[in-house]
Amino acid sequence: MKWLILIGAAVAAVGLVLLATASADTTMFARHYPLLLGLNAALAALLAALVAIQLVVLARRHRARVFGARLTLRLLARFAALAVVPGLIVYAVSVQFLTRSIESWFDVKVDAALEGGINLGQQVIEQMTQDLQAKANAMALELADRGPGQLAAQLERLRGQLGVEEVVLVTGSGRLVASAAQDVTKLVPELPAGQALRQARAKRGYTAVDAAVGRPLALRVLVPVDMPGEVRFLQLRQTVPSSFAQSAEAVEAAYRDYRELAISRDGLKRIYIVTLTFALLMALFVAVAVAATQSGLLAEPLANLAQATQAVARGDFTRRAPVTSRDELGVLTESFNSMTRQLEEARRGVESNQLALEAAKARLESILANLSAGVLVFDHSLELSISNHGAAAILGSELGAFAGQMRAHFAAQGAADWQLELQLKGTGKTLHARGARLPHTTGGGAVVVFDDITRLIQAQRATAWAEVARRLAHEIKNPLTPIQLSAERLEMKLGERLPREDAEMLKRATETIVNQVSALKAMVDDFRDYARLPAPQPARLDLNALVRQVLALYENSTVPIAKHLAEPLPPAWADGAQIRQVLHNLVQNAQDALENQAARGASPSIEVRTELAGDRIRLAVSDNGAGFPEELMARIFEPYVTTKPRGTGLGLAMVKKIVDEHHGAVTIENRPSRGASVSVLLPLAKAA
Amino acid sequence: MRRIALVMLLVAGAALAEEIEVRDVALRSVEDGLALDADFAFELTPRLAEVVANGVPLYFSVEFELTRRRWYWFDETAAAQRLQLRLSYHALSRQYRLSTGALQQSFATLEEALNVLKRVRNWLVVDRSARLADADYDAALRMRLDTSLLPKPFQLSALTGRDLQLESPWKRFIVRPSR
Repeated sequence: MKWLILIGAAVAAVGLVLLATASADTTMFARHYPLLLGLNAALAALLAALVAIQLVVLARRHRARVFGARLTLRLLARFAALAVVPGLIVYAVSVQFLTRSIESWFDVKVDAALEGGINLGQQVIEQMTQDLQAKANAMALELADRGPGQLAAQLERLRGQLGVEEVVLVTGSGRLVASAAQDVTKLVPELPAGQALRQARAKRGYTAVDAAVGRPLALRVLVPVDMPGEVRFLQLRQTVPSSFAQSAEAVEAAYRDYRELAISRDGLKRIYIVTLTFALLMALFVAVAVAATQSGLLAEPLANLAQATQAVARGDFTRRAPVTSRDELGVLTESFNSMTRQLEEARRGVESNQLALEAAKARLESILANLSAGVLVFDHSLELSISNHGAAAILGSELGAFAGQMRAHFAAQGAADWQLELQLKGTGKTLHARGARLPHTTGGGAVVVFDDITRLIQAQRATAWAEVARRLAHEIKNPLTPIQLSAERLEMKLGERLPREDAEMLKRATETIVNQVSALKAMVDDFRDYARLPAPQPARLDLNALVRQVLALYENSTVPIAKHLAEPLPPAWADGAQIRQVLHNLVQNAQDALENQAARGASPSIEVRTELAGDRIRLAVSDNGAGFPEELMARIFEPYVTTKPRGTGLGLAMVKKIVDEHHGAVTIENRPSRGASVSVLLPLAKAA
Repeated sequence: MRRIALVMLLVAGAALAEEIEVRDVALRSVEDGLALDADFAFELTPRLAEVVANGVPLYFSVEFELTRRRWYWFDETAAAQRLQLRLSYHALSRQYRLSTGALQQSFATLEEALNVLKRVRNWLVVDRSARLADADYDAALRMRLDTSLLPKPFQLSALTGRDLQLESPWKRFIVRPSR
């Protein structure tokens, strides 16, 4: 575009110079004037098209709201105004001046003077012609009087007398009769033309001015000579004096030029106006085109800056505005670039900090989440702000109530750290909680860390019971055998010596002692079994088969036992002997529970069920007895906790111990209709 | 826009140019070749009369072309002649002059000069040396005022106005030169 404008401007300048040269008074381009005019018009049109294209492009950019377009447009308007207004003023003044000055050439006085000069010349020529005619008439009279004879001599004499340059006598048909000339070198005289003869004959005289180009101005007079018998014609030729002729011709030329200018002044004005107009148009178009380019150049760095700013606003710091100039704009662009660089560095620092923080936070959160202990964090107004996964697992739905309790505790304890053990009302879990105030620098608040120590306590109890059982077994069982033996011996030795009645009484007492000792022994054995339960030897176990075997033993019992065994059931990973014990205990319990009910006439039933529960196997034994009392639920697996009138209370404790050692789980629930259900969850055998 | 307007003016000017009528054309075989006699009929526009009366010479040119059609190539131009006639006014002697080459004639009135101008006689258009085939030739003749020889100020007016234009259309006729 820039080159196009430069070339256009250069060509326009050449065209204008040619047009101006042609418009000035040289003949060089005069013949090609229309061509030049057309050429310049085409050039002007071309430039106009160039400008129009630029303007259209600019307008489109402006409409598309390209940044910088408005500035370009404004700069263009200013530049264009700067160029157009003075141009128009100069143009108007020039045109006015031209037309005025052209008009002023045509002065009335000059006109009159030239007119007068021509008239003067005409009159002088007329005078000379009349003079010549008078001479011709006199000559003709004399020739007519003298008659023919010695014509040549007469002519020469008369010519000499009258001072005429050339005299010719011709016949009516124009044939030469005689001639005489001042210039003797001139042999052939000029004869009158036929038309001249005709006129001379008709009007009895003919005058003419010979004004052929390249020959001196001459006067010619033709008069008839009435000779006897025929009419002849006498022609007199006289050259106008050369000084007069020159002056007259000069006046004539000047007059002609003047008249030519005078009648063509409109055309002349038009030529100048057209030339001026072309000059104006081209100058304007070039100026506007250059203005458009220049304003584009000026606005370009700004547009670049704007684009870079938008990029920065979007968060792209990599964009650098190109520095195109060494002026203030260049400095500005440079500063912008360095600012962007600094911003980028700052943001990178912030980002790395943030990443580190996030990593630390994530680490902390993962630690909190993987902590089995529950953690509750309270803010400065003791509202719960964070609770971890462990807390939710331990507390379940009691989280809110527990948090309230803790809040109350914090309020009561003030700034001091504390720890306490408490039991949850709903699930009966025992918790050990430690509370601490957070330092004020981190915003205050408090944190509670608590553990579910229910199992720990249970384990402690179980260990204690095992110890008790072992002691009991050891300390109690030892004296039992001598007691039993002594009682039997007493009966044997004394039974025959005592009278019948006494013997009977002894026998009953001895029996009682033996029975009670046996019972005591059994009880001690139970305790020993519980205390000495061996570590399980797990293997792949077909639980359904085991259930069938065990239940076969109960086929004749008073209470019917229903089986709901899931088929196929994957093998469990368990010790068959111990699981058999578990099943016996559970079925026994159920039967014991139903024993009390039999009297009430309800139809007792027991149901044994096996099924796959997720990645474990469930073995459930249910009855429709009285169920477990709610207050015992939390401690039902402890030894000596029982609902039965008889029994050691070791059955469920044993079950619990076995299942725990199998890494299983036992749950007890009272069925909503009636009775209780005990579920044992056993792990699956690992795939072979 | 301006250019278009100018072109349109040119076209309009050409279309409305004052007409010269070509009358009575005849080609004669003479000793030196072919000679043309022709009569033209036209009147000078008032503006042209004014121009010539103010001493500006008018150049009329009579153009003649003799071509033969060739189906296989461009037409052959057998002859092309141009006759230039200069009509001027000499204020000092109050005479109109008509010059053709070296020949010059003076007339007291414009009518006389125009009458001579309108009659072309014995114009040798085809030289004897030109070898003409025995076939049909297209001859074309026209007369026009050569505005390019007018002074510059008139040229611009001639471009835009019709009162400085005078020309005839091409008059075409078929000639068969006989041996």
